[in-house]
Amino acid sequence: MAAVARKNLHLVLSNELSGAFNLLLQQGVRVVCRPGCTLGELLSGQWGIDAEYVSRRITTLFLNCRAIDDVATAHVAGGAVIALSGAMPGLVGATMRRGGFYAAMRGAMTYREGVAGEENQVDWVRVKLFNLILPELGPGFLSHGIIMTAAELLAFITAREFPAGCFTAPPAIDGRLQSTGELEESLALAGEEEVHLTVEFKD
Amino acid sequence: MDRIARIDMGAAGGPKVTEEPVGQYAGLGGRAMTSIVVATEVHPLAHPLGAENKLVISPGMLSGTTGSMTGRLSVGCKSPLTGTIKESNAGGQAAQVLARIGYAAVILEGKPEGDDLYKIIINKDGIKVEVDNSLKLLDNYPLIEKLRQEYGDKVAYMSIGSAGERLMLAASIACTDPELRPTRHCGRGGVGAVMGAKRVKAIILDDEGMKMRPPKDAEKFRDANRKFVEGLRKHPVTGEGLPAYGTNVLTNVLNEAGGYPTRNFKTGVFEGGAKLSGEAQAELETRRGGNPTHGCHRGCVIQCSGIFNDENGNYVTKQPEYETVWSHGGHCGIDDLDAVARMDYMDDNFGVDTIEMGVTIGVAMDAGLAEFGDSAGAIRLLEEVGKGTPLGRVLGSGAEITGKVYGIEKVPVVKGQALPAYDPRPIQGIGVTYATTTQGADHTAGYAIATNILKVGGDVDPLKTEGQVELSRNLQIATAAIDSTGMCLFIAFAILDQPDTFQALLDLLGSFYGIEMTGDDVVALGKKVLSAERDFNTRAGFTKHHDRLPRFFYTDPIEPHNQVFSVSDEEMDTLYNW
Ligand code: SF4
Repeated sequence: MAAVARKNLHLVLSNELSGAFNLLLQQGVRVVCRPGCTLGELLSGQWGIDAEYVSRRITTLFLNCRAIDDVATAHVAGGAVIALSGAMPGLVGATMRRGGFYAAMRGAMTYREGVAGEENQVDWVRVKLFNLILPELGPGFLSHGIIMTAAELLAFITAREFPAGCFTAPPAIDGRLQSTGELEESLALAGEEEVHLTVEFKD
Repeated sequence: MDRIARIDMGAAGGPKVTEEPVGQYAGLGGRAMTSIVVATEVHPLAHPLGAENKLVISPGMLSGTTGSMTGRLSVGCKSPLTGTIKESNAGGQAAQVLARIGYAAVILEGKPEGDDLYKIIINKDGIKVEVDNSLKLLDNYPLIEKLRQEYGDKVAYMSIGSAGERLMLAASIACTDPELRPTRHCGRGGVGAVMGAKRVKAIILDDEGMKMRPPKDAEKFRDANRKFVEGLRKHPVTGEGLPAYGTNVLTNVLNEAGGYPTRNFKTGVFEGGAKLSGEAQAELETRRGGNPTHGCHRGCVIQCSGIFNDENGNYVTKQPEYETVWSHGGHCGIDDLDAVARMDYMDDNFGVDTIEMGVTIGVAMDAGLAEFGDSAGAIRLLEEVGKGTPLGRVLGSGAEITGKVYGIEKVPVVKGQALPAYDPRPIQGIGVTYATTTQGADHTAGYAIATNILKVGGDVDPLKTEGQVELSRNLQIATAAIDSTGMCLFIAFAILDQPDTFQALLDLLGSFYGIEMTGDDVVALGKKVLSAERDFNTRAGFTKHHDRLPRFFYTDPIEPHNQVFSVSDEEMDTLYNW
């Protein structure tokens, strides 16, 4: 897929709202990348997540609903769904754990390498962040940028009822500053157009 | 813990208490004690609600000590829900207090004539059994409030709600937490109905004047406990994940894996999963002035529990566990944590098992008694249970009976007990445990993920799907052993990953009893418990043909992995070969 022209929306929010995106991040957000590489290359090479952090902290990973044992061999295609989680309790937690002793209990849920990914073009994957990984990587993904349609974003902003004064600096679309009212109006007009949203948290 | 008390509720002239040394049951505690007493003393063909059944209450082997995580209480009997032997355990304060008073087991026997309702008061001076008909049909929260006025706040309470008095097969026995709320339940198998059949409404446990149980080697015990706690604190699951999010941290992962049974086991993914997640729950609890990190008994360092408040900051219930959020949530197509919390409170108050009740409501939804996703409808059905209406009595009898009454074909039960929150088709190993456990479908029966350390049965190639039976067998052995110690099963992750933490657990047991404990001893204990349970079930008429999942798990593939349960009967039948 070729690169798509998108509006760029930048939000600067007060630190108190750092959890505001948690539900969205659990449900999954689209993130720009160059697929066709391994999951390890995507996480560390493209997104800059420390390889040590990946191996020690992200102990449970799913690619398209299948548990991953080796990030170095799992290939990511455009449109893939990637879920990242810390270690989980209980038998099922142990079962899902990367390379874990109980991986045999998963049956068909284990990822098996198929055809290698496609060529190295800009595309997106959907990323879900769970539990301990959510507060640790969520701000990074939000500052790096996520893709939503303008309509989705408008629904999110209005449903979340961002309180007055929550923006530490005025929102900016493609560098142009907006009032909250203007922002909602612009998003309403843009409808299904895609927006590249970046979020910063400040005191 | 050198005495056993027997209370013959049916004795001529009124209940009669006798005490005896532990005798042949010396060294047993928790599940080992309850199961071996039941297997030895209860006629396997006894009616579970009759005079011949016994209700055995036993703290774990380390309960009442200064050891961390040792507050699990086991209750055992022949189950009215499954017809098998049953051990059901709970946290709360009861185990610690009962152990400190000095009882290795309290056994309720017989059955009184007539309608009187009794309370039992256990303290350093012995045991009193008194008639108290003012407690009749009180549910757990008002019941405990009333008892607190008389017995105060420095005791622990065990009780049944209206469901137990009405002998409902889903009835539980509540144990109070440190704040004296009746939130910790021996939930599974209808143990509350057995207590109700014996006409015992409440047990008041008062350890005033009693000391912590002293270890044989105090210094070694202290040292082992320190290492054990350090191990729990440094592990990401027991030191971070469970304290922050509780067991409900599993919702997102199970859902992502396609193993989250949705709308009565029709698919493996629930679109509303993230709204029910432990992450969402913890955030909500913090925002409303509740608390996502709370221990169900003093001495718990993991603190997987929490306090759930309403939007005005008022207490609703304890933090619902993963299985509860699933049973009242995704299983019923409901994605509203407030509705789930309300039903958790109702379950605790009426005294019913949250898993059995939620699964039953899902089956009732399949029968058209409410729509999937209709939280008000689900609450209405649960209210019927609290009122004891004819419909409520059907629902309170659990999923299997509700399914039969309404002619529902696909009812997720094994040996009459509802399946918990993990679909056995994508997670085959857990299906083996559901099918073969001595307890009816039970996820905790194979929970102690420490088998590689225990080295029971050798390693299994993780890339092959064979070996499920062997894994399940080893898990069940390890679990039976841990259930006997009084330790919370959530220690399992730390002892799985950290050999020094497992050694600390062995040293806790060894230094307390003045013996050398090895992994082999733990395995031997687990096998002894399982063998006794299996033997009881065989004598009660259970055969290998009962060790099966409901047929639809073998015939109906589940999305997204399109898998059916495929472990063969022949393989499953080898589970108890040792
Ligand atoms: S970890 Fe949870 S269930 Fe276990 S003792 Fe602590 S609060 Fe209770």
